[in-house]
Parts: sequence; structure tokens; C-alpha cells
Amino acid sequence: MSYYVRKAAFYLAALWAAVTLNFVIPRLLPGNPVDILMAKLQQRGGTVDPAARKAYETLLGTGGGGSVFQEYVAYLGNLLRGDLGVSVSAFPAKVSEVIADSLPWTVVLVGLSTLLSFLLGVGLGAVVGWKRGTWLDALVPATTVLSAVPYFWLALILISLLSSGLGWFPLTGGYDVVLDPGWSGEFIGSAIYHGILPALTIVISSIGGWLLGMRNMMVSAMSEDYVLTARAKGLTDRRIMIRYTARNAVLPSVAGFAISLGFVVSGSLVTELVFSYPGIGSKLLQAVQNNDYALMQGIFLVITIAVLGANLVVDLLYGLIDARTRDRSTVS
Amino acid sequence: MTTLAVRGLTKTYHRIRAVDDVSFTLTAGRTVALVGESGSGKSTIARMIAHLVRPTAGEIVLTGPDGEPVPRRAYRDHVQMIFQDPFASLNPFHTVEHHLARPLRLHGRSRDEVPHLLERVSLTPDFARRRPHELSGGQRQRVAIARALAPGAKVIIADEPVSMLDVSIRMGVLKLLGRLQREEHLAVLYITHDLATARHFSDEVLVMHRGRIVERGASDDVLTRPQDPYTRRLAAATPDPASRFSRGGLS
Amino acid sequence: MRPKLAAGLGLAGLIVLFGLIGPLLTGDPATIRDIGLTPPSGEHLLGTTLTGQDVLAQLASATRGSLWIGALVAVMATVLSGIFGIVGAYAGGAVDEVFSLFSNVMLVIPGLPLVIVITAFVPPDERGTWNIALVLAITGWAASARVLRAQTLSLRNRDYVAAARVSGEKTWRVIGVEILPNLLPVLASQFVFTVVLAILSEAGLSFLGLGAANSSTLGTMFYYAQNGFALQREAWWWFVPPGMVIALFGGALALINFGIDEIINPRLRDRPRRKRDVVAVEAEIAPVEPDAVLTVRNLNVVYQSSPPVHAVKNVSLTLRRGEILGLAGESGCGKTTLAYAINRLHRPPAEVTSGSVTFDDVDVLALEPEELREFRWVRLSMVFQGAMNSLNPVTPIRAQLQDALRTHRPSMSAPDRELRCAEMLRLVGVDPARLGAYPHELSGGMRQRVMIAMALLLDPQVMIMDEPTTALDVLVQREILNEIKRLRDELQFAVVFITHDLPLLLELSDRIAVMRDGEVVEYATAEDVYLRPEHPYTRQLLASFPSLTGDRGALIR
Repeated sequence: MSYYVRKAAFYLAALWAAVTLNFVIPRLLPGNPVDILMAKLQQRGGTVDPAARKAYETLLGTGGGGSVFQEYVAYLGNLLRGDLGVSVSAFPAKVSEVIADSLPWTVVLVGLSTLLSFLLGVGLGAVVGWKRGTWLDALVPATTVLSAVPYFWLALILISLLSSGLGWFPLTGGYDVVLDPGWSGEFIGSAIYHGILPALTIVISSIGGWLLGMRNMMVSAMSEDYVLTARAKGLTDRRIMIRYTARNAVLPSVAGFAISLGFVVSGSLVTELVFSYPGIGSKLLQAVQNNDYALMQGIFLVITIAVLGANLVVDLLYGLIDARTRDRSTVS
Repeated sequence: MTTLAVRGLTKTYHRIRAVDDVSFTLTAGRTVALVGESGSGKSTIARMIAHLVRPTAGEIVLTGPDGEPVPRRAYRDHVQMIFQDPFASLNPFHTVEHHLARPLRLHGRSRDEVPHLLERVSLTPDFARRRPHELSGGQRQRVAIARALAPGAKVIIADEPVSMLDVSIRMGVLKLLGRLQREEHLAVLYITHDLATARHFSDEVLVMHRGRIVERGASDDVLTRPQDPYTRRLAAATPDPASRFSRGGLS
Repeated sequence: MRPKLAAGLGLAGLIVLFGLIGPLLTGDPATIRDIGLTPPSGEHLLGTTLTGQDVLAQLASATRGSLWIGALVAVMATVLSGIFGIVGAYAGGAVDEVFSLFSNVMLVIPGLPLVIVITAFVPPDERGTWNIALVLAITGWAASARVLRAQTLSLRNRDYVAAARVSGEKTWRVIGVEILPNLLPVLASQFVFTVVLAILSEAGLSFLGLGAANSSTLGTMFYYAQNGFALQREAWWWFVPPGMVIALFGGALALINFGIDEIINPRLRDRPRRKRDVVAVEAEIAPVEPDAVLTVRNLNVVYQSSPPVHAVKNVSLTLRRGEILGLAGESGCGKTTLAYAINRLHRPPAEVTSGSVTFDDVDVLALEPEELREFRWVRLSMVFQGAMNSLNPVTPIRAQLQDALRTHRPSMSAPDRELRCAEMLRLVGVDPARLGAYPHELSGGMRQRVMIAMALLLDPQVMIMDEPTTALDVLVQREILNEIKRLRDELQFAVVFITHDLPLLLELSDRIAVMRDGEVVEYATAEDVYLRPEHPYTRQLLASFPSLTGDRGALIR
């Protein structure tokens, strides 16, 4: 089986597992989410007809007449149609609408800052590893401590220093609320201005992991025979560092992207809360605080799909940059 | 007399025959050399005889000193193995004592025999306390030989026992093996890629190529007058300074 | 002990001590006073909260709570990762496939969102510390399992595991006594990693109000600080200290992990960088024989470790044009160090302390870095042991052949470069169509041929070959040796051929130097070394190689 087919199959399996977990969790745990939801719905003036109840039961189980298997099939059917139910916290909006409104904010913020952090971390790590034994070594413990700091705490510190203290950045929000969201230059500028601090939080917290990993791999790669050969060939230091050492050292960082991405996304979600950023993280917390189970599950699924998708892209990229994986027959 | 008979031994990996219908017999007091290049299947044979790898087909029959077949659970009392790399075959975490006491106890013998075992391989008893990283390659391989002797085994599979050692100590380890073989009347399977030591160290030679035995016979006959074209190429490729210089001054 | 490990253990120990003893000394963290939000003072070292509770007292009990959760999660997650990582990898086959698929799926599903969903479904009054810890463990073991699996896979194929099985050890003993102790550093490092991760995750969870009911952790401190608008009220003393504790603890555990990493992988140890590779350069170049291309005089190389190791002692050699000089010796005799020093490829802590290396008219030891770079490969090229690792695994061989031309002959046009590479491959008997191949697509013999082609690209006068055929089978070795002899006759370059295989050198070389403990103990023509060896060590080496054709029996039996 080719590398690409195997990878696609793996992510399909992971997707199925996530979807099924989402179905199983509310059924396994104590409590009666459907009743709580129906009560909430009533408070908000929603219709409490049997159809609404049936829809929540398909999603969350508990009670109901049909078998679990029928519920499962109906649940999968709803998912395929993009029907994730009605949100009670944003009633009468549908879950899919709430997600559609907030997802772009998170994708842009987390996507760009993760990419930036990866590139910066790997780049710095390559230099720190190559120049081992110089003052640059101090960067390693410094950034490692930063990566052990909770994201949201760093966000609090940055706000109190740069926003409250110096007034350089806005305290919270994703854009200036007097503006109408749209593709106007003014709005985009405001969105970028508001995004700098959250992005800085994510970059500072996550860069240490990339830097340390890359630095360690650089050090290992530097004692490989092919680097020795490159030196014996009289190649320039720059070429040896980039084409020979870093080119090989970066492979584990790319392969380990999956593990790191999960951490970054988790941290970013809580960061959004601190900044009251209009992304999916804030919505998830809103859902949690309001027992909006439908929204919560919808967001979990969307985040998982986004992370799986990003990992699939990275894995396909890995196949491109390391020819050996394409020829290997075993599952990694 | 203990004998180990291998009949029609075959091992298939992913439809490739690593070992293909190999038969031979090891008898007490004799050394058989199994010669071949890497990938010829010789190590797979060693691992099948050591019960580390299950054969795809064929049988391995062990006959005890009483002439009766040895039951499977007693097999390891009689057949032991020496591995190629003495740096990998000793656990870095454990002392020499552990490496010898465990097989002694597993085969119903007392750990008090450890000093005696060390003596058999020309090491002093104080080696028992040391750990592998404190030993040289030759010392490690001696410990590995002692470990193989610990259960009182009469059949020893030696898989390239000296190829990872420094050249100047190889002869010492081979001579030790030869001495033990004579004194304990062992049946030894000496696996090697080196034709010259195979010739000097064994009674019979089996030449392997791509999983099959292509030539067999008394060592001197096979290696000095090879019949099979592959054996001939192998012999011709082995560096031999004698062919370049006529022996003058040296007797 | 390694300094980083000691510092990390010390710092982590202090924090654990603070969590254990602090709550006993700082009084009741819940006591409410009417002095809300006072800044740090003598009475309240870290100030008070909105309701006048002492922040230091809260910090102490919160530290204890977080450490407890961290330890609980780490123990549970380590057990889980051990089962899925170690047992799966040892069992192999279908069990391993299923276990590893399961771990990988758990790994790619983002952890915190899953934890949030699970805990949100648990009614608040049922969210106990143990339940939270269990959820964090279930969602946090997969990364460790992956690491443990990789490590176990490499350990289970070690010969000592096979040897234990041959001795008749039972499976559980092989795992517990032979494999597990060697996994301890990795297990420790994963445990430490999980503790940090659990404390961070719990802090995030509590910050969202999803923590364990009635618990006091660093996360709940954040939660109350956030809900008490500590940020807006600029009560930094309320939310800074818990973050500092986490950061310091995380930093301490990271230091511990550095320490463990350095134990596992000695390459990562700190090493001061030396500026010079050559300490003293002879002012005058020693007189050179007329037909000599490479002259080494009284060369000394010392590894400046403690104690210093004198690896090459007063070595003098002369390589004549077109000559094959054999350098024989066993591992650790200094032959490779000598070869590297000739081309100044030795790395710190190795230093050339005295002597000279003269190449034609070039004083190699006096070259400036840029001159040295231009000298390498153009005048002197090298072929190393095990072409397996000498070729860059991630680029096709074309790029690796071409970059020597690109660097040393910048004016050469792209088509000419391609032609030259193809010509050299043909010369060593490799089909030029293989230019696009990656190293792993070639056999060992082919790779070594490609290395030789690369070494010939710039028509060097000297080629140093360090054990070029040791990793190869006899038949392939013979082909490569014939190739070297043929190319030498055709192209008239000189060769320094380094190996432990004396018979091979006797057959191949014009002259042979035998090295032992850094010294050249015998230096003569191949014929003299074979027929009239002078040094006892040479005789011992000669006796170590029984002959295939000579008399039999005298050696062993």
C-alpha cells in the first residue's frame, strides 16, 4: 500500500473514532443533558415540541425509544448533512451557524501563529544547534521555561504589561466594535491590530518546543557521516548547515507536528477566552458555561476535523521531503 | 551422544525464501562451519536452531546422550547460542554475575558455579561484579561464551563470534572455543563469512548462497579445491597475500 | 551528577517542599478578612485577594493541589502508556498494530477540547479530583506510548533480549528484568513530561471552571482571580504568583529532562567550542622528497579531554605520486584521527599540537579557513567507511555530486556539470541513469562506488579511504578493490588506504604503515612487511589472519 493511501486511511479511522467518541461520551457519563437542554430551551422561549427533544436525543442519548444503533445511524446522517442541532446559548441560531461565524477567526489566528512559531522555532533551533557553545545556548532554557507557562497566564501578563500598562494594544476583542465586519481595509486593519497580542501569546508559548527539538536534532545530525563528507568536500558552511544538517534535522519536527499541534490548539482555545476573542474557543467556553451541549459537541468535532486535516497536510508534505517514507512498507 | 539434525529447514519472509530446504547434522566433538555472505540466510538458520524464529517448514531434531529425542521444554538445556556483537548481547544494566547466574538457575544449577564458569573462559572470579561497559570486547565475548556453557549445553551455535572483535584478539577467542569444544566434547555450528577461519576451525564446511547450501564437505577439500562456481568466486575474492609474494624467509 | 539535572532536581524539590510544608506554615487559605486586594506587605507577603484571603497561603495549598493532580495523572498515564507502548511493541504483530493505531488516533485528537467535552457532561458535584485526574490521564498518555513503543521496538531486537530468551527466561521476566531497566531513563523523562502537562491541563480546566469540585489548585486561583477582575483592577500579585510557580516547576522539570536526555544521548552534552584546531604550526616546512605529494612530519594530535589522550604520536609518513599507502591498525590506534588531521577534519576536543602536513607546496596546517575549504576535495578527497551514512539520505545523488562542482567550479555550466557527473558514474561502473536515485535505493556496493565517483570528480592528487570496504561483502569488496587499482593506474592519483584488514593491504598497497597506540611501529614496503616484519606487533597481526591457501591446522588445532 502506498504511503499516501495509508495516511489517508489512518486519518479516516481517526475521524471515525472522534465522531464515535462524540456520540458515546454523553451516553456513558452520568447526568441527563437532554433534560437540562430542554429546560434551557424553554427559558429562551424555544419550542419544546417532541421533534426538538428527539433531535437532542439523537445527539446525546438518554431515554428515547429507538435502539442505540438507530440513533447512531441517525446521528451520522445528521452529521453528513451538516446538521449539528440548535444552540441554546445563541438561540435560535443553529450550531452550524455559530461555528461558521467564529471558525474563520480561530483558523486565521491559530493557523498563522502556529506557522510563524514553527518557522521561527525551527529556524532559531537550527542556528542555535549549529552554533553550539556560543551565547546562543542560553536561548534553550529560556524558551523552554516559556513553553511550560500556561498560555492564558502569559496572555494575562502580556495584557497587563502591553495593554493596561503601556497602552500599545487593545485590551480585548477581535476588532473595533464600532466597525462593521466586512472586507473593508479599516476593518481588516483593526482585526490585525487586535490579533497581534493573542498571536504573540501563542508564538511565545509554543516556540520553545520547536526550538529545543530542532536544536537537539541539529546537534545529532552534525555528527552524522554525511555532514563529515560535506565538510571534506569543502562545501561552504552555509550549504552544509542548510542542505545537509538542517534538511535532515527538520524531519522529526515535521513528523512530530501532530503531537505539538494538539497542544497549541488546546492552549489557544483558553487564550481566546482571556482576550474575549470572537473565535471558536470563546464559543466553546460559552457553550460550557451555558450547558449548551449541542454547540459544545459541534465545536469539538470541528476542531478535531481541523486538526486532523492540518496533520494530514503535514504528513503528505513529509512524504515529499523524505523519499524514504514513500518506499517504506510498514505502518509508522 | 548428543546430535542435532536439521532436515529440510525452510524460512519464508514475505514470499522470499531466506532459507531454502537446508539439511545437516551436528554431532558431539565436531565443528561444522556455515559460510556465506550477509543475507545468505545463515543467521536465520542460527535463530531457528536457537528457537528464536519459527521455521516455515522442516524439522530440528535433538537427540540426547541416551539416544532418545529431547522434549521441547528441555531443548534449551542442550542448545545454546553465542551472538555476533558482544556489545549488544550483554545487557548494559546488569552485572556479569547476573548474566551467568540466571541461566545457571534456570537450568537447575547453583549460582556458586559462576567463578568456575569464569575460569573456564580464562577470566578471574572478580569479573563477576563488573558491568559490560567495564569490559573489553574480547572479555565480553568470553562472558557470552560462559553464558552459553552455563546450562551445560552440548550444542553451541556460534553466530559470527569474532567478527566484531579486534583482529589481534580474534584468534584468542577462537582458540578458546576450540579448546572448550575438545574438552567438553561439544557440537559446534560455527557461522562466519570468513573462509580462512572456517577452514582452520572446522571439520566440515557448508557454503550458503541465497538460502541454499551450494557446496558441502570436509573443510580442506571445499575451501582449497572448491567445485561450485560460487564457492570458487568466494575463495578467489578473499584477500590472500601469499598469492602476491612467494614465501621466502618465513618458514 | 550532571549540573542541569542537579539544578532541575533542586528547584523541583524546593517547589514540592513548598507544596508539602507551606500549607502548614501559612495558615488557613480560606480565612476572609476585610482588607480586600491589599498589595504585598510585611503582614501579607503576597498581598490579599478580593475577599482578603492571604495569597501566599492560597498559593501554598494550591501548589499542593496541583502537584497532587500532576502526580496522580502521571502515574495513571505512565501505566497506560506502558501497557500500550511497551507491551504492544514487545508482543509485535497484530497486537502491536492495533495498540499503535489506537495510540496514534488518541494522539491526533486534540486533548483539551476532548477533556472539556467529557468534564462538561459530568455534573459538577461528581467532578472529584480522581475523576478529573482519570480524564486527564486517559487523554494524555498517547504521546508517551509512542515514545516508549519506539524505544521498546529497538530494545526488543537487541541481542541481549534474544540471549535471555535462549537462556529460557519467561516473557514477563524478559520484559521486566531485561527490557524495563533500560527503559528507565525514557520512562522517567516521559513521567516528568506528563506531570507538567497534567498541571498545565488542570490549570486550564480549572480556569474555565471545569476543575474538580472543592479543590484548590493553581488553576482555581486563576479562576477566582479572573472572576474577581484581578487584571482590570491591576492586582498583579493575585495572578502572577501561581503562574510563576507553574513556570518554575515546568522549568525545573525541563532541566531534569535535559539532564536525562544528555544521559541517553551523550552527543547533547555541553561542549565548549574551541576556536583553533591547530595549536602550533611549524615555522619552516620540512624538506620534502622530490616525488612526494603528501608529507606528514612529526604530527601529534591530542584529545584535550581530562585526562588528555595523545591519539597520534610523532607520526611521519610520505606519500609518493600514484602510490597506494596502506595504514593498518586496530580500533583506537589513531589511524582515523590521523587521516582526519591530515585534512584538518578533526573536531574539538581534538587538536593538532605539533608537526606539519605538506601537500606539494601547500602547508596544510597554516591554511586560513577559506583557503582550507578551497583546498579540500580539489587536491585531496576522502571516502569514508559505510557509504550507508556518508550520503545525505534526503537528496538524490545527483545533487550531492553536483554540489562539489558547484562549489569548486562555479563557472561550470549546468549541462557540463551533468555530463561530468554522468562520466564519473560510468567510470566507476554505475549506470548514469541512477543519478536521480536516492541513497536508500542503491545497494551498499553501489553507494560506495558513487562515493568513489564523487571523490574523483575534481581530479584530486590524493584520495584518503577510511575502511571503504569494511561494511561490504567479500565479493563486492573484491570488485571495489579491483576498481580502485584500475582507476589508480588510469588516473595516477595516490591513495591512503586505512583498514584493520592486513591481508587486504598486503595485496593492495605499495607501502604499509602499521599503527599502534598512536605510533607508527612499522613502515616498509608491503613485501617487507609480509616477509620480513620487524616489530613484534606486526608479527602478531600477521598471525591473526590464518591463510586460506597455506598449511592448515598449525594455528588452532
